[in-house]
Amino acid sequence: MLDVANLHAAYGHVKVLNGVTFQVPDATIATILGRNGSGRSSTCKAVMGLLPPSRGAVRIGTRDLAGLPAHEVARAGVAYVPEDRQIFRNLSVEENMILGMKAGRSGRPAWTIDELYDVFPRLRERRNVKAGFLSGGEQQMLTLFRSVLGNPDVILIDEPTEGLAPKVVEALAETILEMKRRGLAILLLEQKLAMVMRLTDRVFVMGRGEIVFSGSVEAFQADDEIRRAWLEVS
Amino acid sequence: MSRIVLVLLGLVAAAALVALPAFGGLATLNLANKIMIAAVFALGFNLLWGQAGLPSFGHAAYYGVGTFATIYMMDAIDRGGAFPTPLLPLVGAGAGFLFGLVAGWFATVRSGVYFAMITVAIAELVSALAQKWEGLFGGEAGIRSIRTNWGPLDFQSTGSVYYLTLVWTLIVLLALYGLQRSPFGLVVRGIRERELRIRFLGYDAHRVKTVVFALSAAVSGLAGGLLAISDESASMVLFGGAGSAFVVLNTVIGGAGVFLGPVIGAALTTSFAYFGSSLSHFWPFYLGVVFVVTVLFAPEGIGGAILARWRRVRDGAGPLIGLGDLAGLAGAVLAMAGLVLLIELTGTICSEAYRAEIASLKGVWPPVRIFAISFAPLTPWPWLVGLVALIGGSRLALGAGRPILPRLFAGRPGPRADQTRPGESA
Repeated sequence: MLDVANLHAAYGHVKVLNGVTFQVPDATIATILGRNGSGRSSTCKAVMGLLPPSRGAVRIGTRDLAGLPAHEVARAGVAYVPEDRQIFRNLSVEENMILGMKAGRSGRPAWTIDELYDVFPRLRERRNVKAGFLSGGEQQMLTLFRSVLGNPDVILIDEPTEGLAPKVVEALAETILEMKRRGLAILLLEQKLAMVMRLTDRVFVMGRGEIVFSGSVEAFQADDEIRRAWLEVS
Repeated sequence: MSRIVLVLLGLVAAAALVALPAFGGLATLNLANKIMIAAVFALGFNLLWGQAGLPSFGHAAYYGVGTFATIYMMDAIDRGGAFPTPLLPLVGAGAGFLFGLVAGWFATVRSGVYFAMITVAIAELVSALAQKWEGLFGGEAGIRSIRTNWGPLDFQSTGSVYYLTLVWTLIVLLALYGLQRSPFGLVVRGIRERELRIRFLGYDAHRVKTVVFALSAAVSGLAGGLLAISDESASMVLFGGAGSAFVVLNTVIGGAGVFLGPVIGAALTTSFAYFGSSLSHFWPFYLGVVFVVTVLFAPEGIGGAILARWRRVRDGAGPLIGLGDLAGLAGAVLAMAGLVLLIELTGTICSEAYRAEIASLKGVWPPVRIFAISFAPLTPWPWLVGLVALIGGSRLALGAGRPILPRLFAGRPGPRADQTRPGESA
């Protein structure tokens, strides 16, 4: 379970997070929605240790990770799939996957490269190709797989469906649902609603560096006011 | 098929290296020693640059530290110490590793240019220290020691030093090849690609970079140890900027992206210095030209060019050597001849010796002899011939070879497009 409590952070004097509080239990898919600049990506960076929080806690289980360097947050069981993918362009597909491999902390069955190839066979075909030659969708799947192979307990995925073909979105959704079946706490960051609505269990809406709504998908869909105030572009 | 060819090539090369003392003279063995030492140094340097993407411009520090440490150990053996002579390079490696661990911890806090600047600063620091601290570094004269035999092994002849150097060079080659293919090597290459991502995957990038730096310094120190065994002396000159520059030169000319690239570069530049220095005073200038031409037209180095050509032949995309290549080669040779003529003429008539000759001939300019041909420096002809050969040859080489220059400039927006500010355009 990812437990973020009263998280504050700032770029110099500009406050970007003003007490962000939310929980993502195990085996749950949660989604943070919000406009650009609402603080979604900053929340991610603060959790991952790239933006040192000035106050608040980021807990995995009982351990507080707030302010730790990125590699220690990763070792504590948090994976991060960034929006810009960040593959190792000059390494092969398989080398990219191998670099992600890491023993998990909980007793869950470990992910294997082969079963991930089964989810998206195109990557198996191209296992020896330099990752820089992959299409955008293939790179997105590779980034996701590389993170999954680290056997994390919590995974943060920034804009997973941005610009992807429907078939790739399908494989992506399947992988995310499999993560949920294996008990991971999954946090998606999205601008668009359509795809995440069929996956997600919980919805958080962010605005001005705070969580302004937290609830089930049904509650969110019933709340026109929230959508109008914080999401729809006027 | 191609793997068999490679293995066969390797075996032939190994046999030739083993048999070299049987038919090579003393000079050949000395040259081979120098090449192997330069190759090990460049391989160590390239572990940092080619694999981790960290450009160190002060690697002479670790090389020199390895040499001095080994000389001191040789001295200790000479006084009755029990250290086995064949393992002496490990002393250089150990000294390089320890020093590299400390220096690397500081230097790898930053990347890119800042990293390079820190490495230069550390090298300058060591160089200054070596000049001041005569007690340890021996001042201008340096320090000397001698090789001691070990058990049945005799280390007095150049041939025995050659074999010792050869064995250590092969050990370094195998170890570095293994390292490159190991999971650790993969992480190192990942750092070169995207350091941030490596941290997200749970690796402590700074620690990995420090270890790579120390390993690179250890290999450089091992090369320094081999030099100590070969020369039986060490001096503060080792810490000068030339050492740091040459290893960069070797690696770039040979190709940083190819495993054996630094070896190719070390063999070429060491041979170049060896033969060139007896032919011309200006050989460092020509080496500089080779460096610039390599960076401009074969940025992947000679090793990279060979590899690209081999792939082309393997894929059936072109012949090993085509007509265009021959024309390009002819152009390059012509341009080189023109350049050599111009440089030798200019260099000679500007030299003190030539001035003295003019004075002794009462103002008459004597002919300049270049490779047994006489040129009259006061007539325009040698200059014209040189210029025409240089320009014509370059054009031929550029036209026949891959026209990289136009592509280099086509990809970038011109300065005018960059400088246009809103409101300024018509």
